[in-house]
Amino acid sequence: MATSEHTSKQFEADLEGIRSHVLQMGGLVEAQLGAAIDGLASGADEPISRVIDNERRVNGNEKEIDDAIVHVVARRQPAASDLRLIMGVSKIVTDLERIGDEAEKIARMARQIYGRGALSIPRSIDVRQTGEKASMMLRRVLDAMARLDTAEAERIIAEDKLIDTEFRAIVRQLITFMMEDPRTISTALDIMWAAKAIERIGDHAKNIAEQVIYIANGTDVRHGGSASETEKDAP
Amino acid sequence: MTVWFTLAFKYAVIAIVALSFGMWLGPVAGWAVLCAGLALLHVVHIGHLARLERWLRAPDPDRMPDPWGAWGIVFTAVYRALRRAAQERESVVKELELFTRAAQALPDGIAMLDSGDQLLWCNDTAAGHLGLQSARDAGLRITNIVRVPRLAAFLQGRQPEDTLEYRPAHHPGQLLSLKVIPFSDGRKLLVSFDITQIERADTTRRDFIANVSHELRTPLTVIHGFLEHMVAAPVLPAEQARRHLDLMVQQSDRMLKLVDDLLMLSRLEGGDSPRREERVDISAMLHALAQDAQALSQGKHQIDVIVDEDAAITGGNDELRSAFGNLVSNAVRYTPPGGRITLGWRKDAAGRGIFSVRDTGIGIAAEHIPRLTERFYRVDRGRSRETGGTGLGLAIVKHVLLRHQATLDIHSTPGAGSEFSIHFPPWRSIVDMPHLEADVA
Repeated sequence: MATSEHTSKQFEADLEGIRSHVLQMGGLVEAQLGAAIDGLASGADEPISRVIDNERRVNGNEKEIDDAIVHVVARRQPAASDLRLIMGVSKIVTDLERIGDEAEKIARMARQIYGRGALSIPRSIDVRQTGEKASMMLRRVLDAMARLDTAEAERIIAEDKLIDTEFRAIVRQLITFMMEDPRTISTALDIMWAAKAIERIGDHAKNIAEQVIYIANGTDVRHGGSASETEKDAP
Repeated sequence: MTVWFTLAFKYAVIAIVALSFGMWLGPVAGWAVLCAGLALLHVVHIGHLARLERWLRAPDPDRMPDPWGAWGIVFTAVYRALRRAAQERESVVKELELFTRAAQALPDGIAMLDSGDQLLWCNDTAAGHLGLQSARDAGLRITNIVRVPRLAAFLQGRQPEDTLEYRPAHHPGQLLSLKVIPFSDGRKLLVSFDITQIERADTTRRDFIANVSHELRTPLTVIHGFLEHMVAAPVLPAEQARRHLDLMVQQSDRMLKLVDDLLMLSRLEGGDSPRREERVDISAMLHALAQDAQALSQGKHQIDVIVDEDAAITGGNDELRSAFGNLVSNAVRYTPPGGRITLGWRKDAAGRGIFSVRDTGIGIAAEHIPRLTERFYRVDRGRSRETGGTGLGLAIVKHVLLRHQATLDIHSTPGAGSEFSIHFPPWRSIVDMPHLEADVA
């Protein structure tokens, strides 16, 4: 009796530890994205190199969390909501790691763009604003995960479309630039890559929001399902 | 009366009655009466016990049973004890509420964490600073919401610094200083201070010193260069020597002007020389300023003055002249030749005097306008120096206006021109009514 209570407490602590670790990794990725966008907007070298240096830490976090997950699954055979948490978290970690990769990509693009000596960058304000939007989305989705706030998660899923629309607008404008002045093509292409990375970050944030809903009430809202719809069916 | 005494009395009565029956009707009757008496008493006790138990399930002091005798004493004692407990609880709750309110009223953010860094309670300031939702986030690990990579290490005391500076992502531009204070059983207080203003003031001061040194150094370098040259080659053609001297005079003029402006600024700021409140003849001042502007412009601009002849306010004549003059000379310096500058004075419906300088110059982009009155803030460094600006003009204007309770209003369209206007409070306006004065006289 006493041992089983002890074991379940230990188990709770393991799960909470994994959750906190994921959120800590999320915090690191948030900082990475913020610095990458700062670097893209200002061209300052310090944030850019910080992002590139810290990328390894993000990857290290992913590995540690994966190890912890394997351990918990092997030793405790979690079921029901605990299993959902483990499954959801393992997917969230992958998305976070990808966001980290995209942030690094943005930083590398920024270095390339400013290294070329381009002083004025076409559409840089739009790219920065979209980037800030994506980073706010990431912040909110991590908050939603900490609070298991499904309502917020659903709002985030709906907002991803906004970033997609902005990305398409940036692409159209960049095409115009390139047609007017072919000398801007290489810079414009780099900007387009950075914008694409931001757009992907929005998608990953959306995936995380879907996993938050799955963790919280076990409904799968991927690919067009709606959480509230399924919730109504549930007893 | 104690419970013992009352009970003993009852049992004694039963015993005496039983004894007298026994003596009268024989021992059997005596025992029977004793048994009946004791049984009756027993039933009464059971009844009271049941009522006490029923009442204690929901102890409502108003609906307390009120029996007599020993049970009455017990009931009263229970009632008193409950009453006292309720009062104590009430006063504890009140005190707790008082403490909560006091913590809520603190200007700094306070968050109480347990040994696992889970949030127990926080005040609204902390909730705002850290992006917490105070009611909802209780029990959450604080590092799950405030996901700064350094915070976890900081909370566990693994950081050598005793404060952590933190820029919350949800309030861009804000800078917080976090401090951890352990209190009991591994619990800790996380205190957050908003140090945005302090940091800004710090930066301003550092920038100011750097700027002053830089501004003074530039002309000094020029003078020093010429002097060195003269030492190395004492004999120069007269014409060249003349040119060098001219440049040196020009540069030392600039230094003088800068030092004058700095002195003026520190005098205005210190406020130790009390400004004299006197009558300021606006019309005369505006015409004089227009003349100065003509001289500065050397006929390259059209300068107009629109003013009522009897306009006047109370204030410091010299200070206002210097403030107005700064705005006028700015207008001349930032308006290309052929432009038009209008000096105006009008009164609005509320009786506020408004001085305005409108030009058709290069204009100022909106993002610069809030910072224009900062010392040495320049929209275009090169241009300002080339036209002889010290970078302190608008800072002086700001301080003069502060001393006159007046406000500066700037409207500008890049490429089309700017309008700087100074709004004086209505009580500064002097209304001259010559016919009334004549009557009084």
